Amino acid sequence: MTTLSHKPASARPIPNPERSLITRLNMGTGTVVGILFAVITYYLLRHHFGSPWRVNHGMDMTNTHFVNVTILCTMFAWSFGFLVGIGALIGPFRWLIGKDLTAEEQLYLAGDGQGIKRYFKYCTDHKVVGIQYLVGVMVMLGVGGTMAMMIRTNLATPGSHFIAPIIYNSLVGLHGITMIIAMIIVSTGPFGNYIMPIMIGAADMAFPRLNALSWWVLFTAIPVLCSAWFLGGIPTGWTAYAPLSDQAGPGMNAFLATIIIFALSTAVAGMNITTTVVAMRAKGMKWNRVPIFVVGATISVALAIPAFPTFMVAMIQTGLDRTISTGFYDANVGGSGWLYANLFWIMGHPEVYVILIPGVAALMEIAPVFVRKPLFSYGAAIAGFAGIAGLSVLVWAHHMYMSGWMPNLNGPFMITTEFISVPTGLLFLVLVGTLWRGKPWMKMPMLSVYAFIWDFLIGGITGIYLSDVPADNYLHGSMFVTAHFHYTLMGAALTGAIGALAFWFPKMTGRMLNDRGSYISFWLIQIGFNVLFLGMFMAGAAGQPRRVADYAQAFAHANLISTIGAYSVGLGMIVLLWAIIHSWRSGVIAPMNPWGSKTLEWTVPYPVPLVNFDEPPVVTSDPYNYGRSAK
Amino acid sequence: MATHTEFHVHHDSPEKVGRRERLGVRLLIVADGSYLFAIIFSWFYLRNLNVNNAWLPKGVKTFSTASSWWVIVPFIIVFIAHRVSMKNRSLRVPAMALSTVLLIIGAWYQWHQVCNMPFVAQDANGRPFYNGAYASNWIIFAGTNMFHYIITAFITLGLFLRGLRGNLLDPVLEEWRQRVAGSWFTWVMIGGILSAFTTSFK
Amino acid sequence: MAHHDDQDLLPTPGQRVGTFLKRKDVSQTFVLGIFFTAVFVVLGLWVYPHWMPNVMSKEMQGNEDIMIWFTVISAPIAGVVLAIAMESFINMHRGDTPPPEDGPGIKTHGPVVVIWSAVSVLFTIVAIVWGITEMNTWSSDALAGSNNALVVDVTGSQWNWSFNYPAQGITSHELNLPINQPVEFRVISADVNHSFWPVQLGVKVDANRLSTTIARTTPDKLGVFDVKCAELCGLNHAYMETAGHVESVADFNNWVSQAKATGGTQQ
Repeated sequence: MTTLSHKPASARPIPNPERSLITRLNMGTGTVVGILFAVITYYLLRHHFGSPWRVNHGMDMTNTHFVNVTILCTMFAWSFGFLVGIGALIGPFRWLIGKDLTAEEQLYLAGDGQGIKRYFKYCTDHKVVGIQYLVGVMVMLGVGGTMAMMIRTNLATPGSHFIAPIIYNSLVGLHGITMIIAMIIVSTGPFGNYIMPIMIGAADMAFPRLNALSWWVLFTAIPVLCSAWFLGGIPTGWTAYAPLSDQAGPGMNAFLATIIIFALSTAVAGMNITTTVVAMRAKGMKWNRVPIFVVGATISVALAIPAFPTFMVAMIQTGLDRTISTGFYDANVGGSGWLYANLFWIMGHPEVYVILIPGVAALMEIAPVFVRKPLFSYGAAIAGFAGIAGLSVLVWAHHMYMSGWMPNLNGPFMITTEFISVPTGLLFLVLVGTLWRGKPWMKMPMLSVYAFIWDFLIGGITGIYLSDVPADNYLHGSMFVTAHFHYTLMGAALTGAIGALAFWFPKMTGRMLNDRGSYISFWLIQIGFNVLFLGMFMAGAAGQPRRVADYAQAFAHANLISTIGAYSVGLGMIVLLWAIIHSWRSGVIAPMNPWGSKTLEWTVPYPVPLVNFDEPPVVTSDPYNYGRSAK
Repeated sequence: MATHTEFHVHHDSPEKVGRRERLGVRLLIVADGSYLFAIIFSWFYLRNLNVNNAWLPKGVKTFSTASSWWVIVPFIIVFIAHRVSMKNRSLRVPAMALSTVLLIIGAWYQWHQVCNMPFVAQDANGRPFYNGAYASNWIIFAGTNMFHYIITAFITLGLFLRGLRGNLLDPVLEEWRQRVAGSWFTWVMIGGILSAFTTSFK
Repeated sequence: MAHHDDQDLLPTPGQRVGTFLKRKDVSQTFVLGIFFTAVFVVLGLWVYPHWMPNVMSKEMQGNEDIMIWFTVISAPIAGVVLAIAMESFINMHRGDTPPPEDGPGIKTHGPVVVIWSAVSVLFTIVAIVWGITEMNTWSSDALAGSNNALVVDVTGSQWNWSFNYPAQGITSHELNLPINQPVEFRVISADVNHSFWPVQLGVKVDANRLSTTIARTTPDKLGVFDVKCAELCGLNHAYMETAGHVESVADFNNWVSQAKATGGTQQ
């Protein structure tokens, strides 16, 4: 058995595994093989069906089915080929033939001694995967954010021709799906992978190879999603409602393929995180001593596991309609758009809590540290998260109140939806209870807590209006809805993620995130955000529908205000990006525990050793035992 | 020399590793179960809605109930074979060999059904389409069965090959792997039964 | 004097509350709480009537009322939460080093958790009861009006609305309605999902292919209203709008006869 020292992974000599194939594979070989598989598939299908480029996309949908077959198969071939080329199949193949990877091979796969190259390989070290997710998320947020700026620029004034409607509609849909994917993984990807195993005292995740797989599978989806732009975009929103999605041009295939690939990545990642937390906690870390971020991240991914497959099915059905002429969503042959809506929202509502919970949980991790008080009512926090997750599977049809699918069920769904405000209220209680009678140390992570409270309060209250069936008659499909969910998904979840980044930056990069840059970005973002979406509430309340490339003169004022706010957010994000890059490269070197936190990740140095801990830690109390005893 | 199959990083006993793997597989089963739930939901929902009276348009033929059930029989046999072999170690390798063969036959039979679908019609332009919601839902169940066949055959083949290498592998871990596979076999059997049950509702 | 000492050791509940309220953080929070509650009350009472368009039916009035009163009802909750957060914020510790001393080690407070949850549940029930009552009112109004309802078949297609009046035998691209007459919209789509939204009438229902959906209302104010599409339906979704008019019964009948005279279709 090899003993592993404290030397950073990059300084030790590279192990020499018996099989050399593993050492030769990386992102480059993956890309080459992926492109190869894609090109071969494309030409085979083109030979069979004829060129997809010669088709005139008219209203006769069946005419273009073979185009969809060609494009979809090419995309999946790319994804599969990339995974072959980067070595993802070596593990399963060796399992199949009974010659498992040797210890040296596994050590090699963990990136031992490979320096910066390990970030571009199939690396099983959870810390590497965490950084990969962080960069991936930042790229997606950047792309999605740029699209948002284009949307708001177009909507600055009525009658603007900055962007043509066909492009605008694509922008809206692609902005939406890019951001949704980014937000699903924004906290659990970087911090759930890098920090969480250390936080529970483990040496790595339960399934390190599957961890690398979930990242690289997601990676293959990124070019697929971007290809939508080159294929004519999508005419639907991110919800890809049928039958419009059936009718859509070739760009829709990129959307379908992305979701199917993403669903696979998330199922694996969710399973990995859940198993790790259930089975690999340190000795003494009983369930009532688990850090709240770990609990929140686990509940989030555990909810995702049953939720996302229904979206995948909806996409598969759309794909089948578009390729082999099934009729899941074609009313002429017995299909219904309501089927799509049900399957989508059975996923879609739990999914927004998958997004929300880790962000809130991260802030609950942060608040006790900076207020120097215990987390107020750990039990209420658990009850809040569990209650939200549990109820979230019973509320989906509140997105369909106005669809006419089953008006008699509107009442019951209204009841379940309204009740979500009870566990949600507990989350507020935990945070304000933690603040109460404390003297908060005002650093960037702590600032995010306050922003969250304001943003989520607005998001929550506006959600109550929307949950009311009569009011939804007015509000559904208007900009009011858009403003509401940006307050919750962006104001709450993204704020939480940014706070989490500021908090864990020292442990993930060894440096402190630049204070001044963070503060400037914080205020630019938060003030801009509120101007942007309060303006949007105004437009929505006045009756502006959502997803519109243009609007009546009456909404001009509100939209201009929104756009101004958007520019502030954009500028703030750029400042934040600058701060991150600058600090990562040349920021102040961080001490081991700059915040004085009591969770386990702050007991290891940076660079974090390959196996995290010399000795598996033993835990004797929860991590929130701050404080003079209560008066 | 026994190859070390576990990353030393864990320093965990095979017992612990085996339990973890079982939990992981069970979570993936939850995901697959959710997938199956979605397609079962589709079946019954569209059947109930009968939009445009086109669940089964006039004159469209269906598959017999018997054929819905025959196509999933291999999953049941594999489950039984595995259970028997868990009690009797010497039967493990033959059980997995038999299972692999049966699963390939099952996949062939499913494919055979797909090649003989009675409900694909031609539209005005001569292009084929699935005539009715029954037809559309049927093909997705066929595809799901196929997917289960492929995955399960991979597992049984792997256990067969690993069984042949018996003395070179950690026995405790391999015992756990048999148990973990058992969870999967149980699931595909249940999934198969649910599929057969659902597709019997014409 | 022993009994006086005993009395000093056990303050009355009233005295305890008094001491509590005199504490600096509590009194600051209290004042902030009043302030934020007032802000949200004013917001609710002023913002929605100001922002929302003309009310031209009972349903629309009901919608506006919900927006106003749910905000007002939420105001105390917003007040408490924001007050505590603000009070905490203004008492911050600045600097590059952590505060020298920990805060009080309060892990939980049973009564607060119980009261908070109970209040949450209470507010939820209020909201539910309000919603159900409103829904029932709409249903019984619809039922009452169903005998003599004016039926309008609404067809959404990419990208316009057309309105067929079966009893009157005309079709139009404009939606004209007589005042105080219950109307039943039977909505369907010719292609993809649309959503029929006569904005000022306060109702909405999706348009689906081959499945008719229903919305009912009674316009009770003369004037113009907007008919918009509230479900993204492709390229020209933003332009899928038309105007509607609520007219006197006489004007409406005139319009119908004119439409009939010109062959049953009106632009």
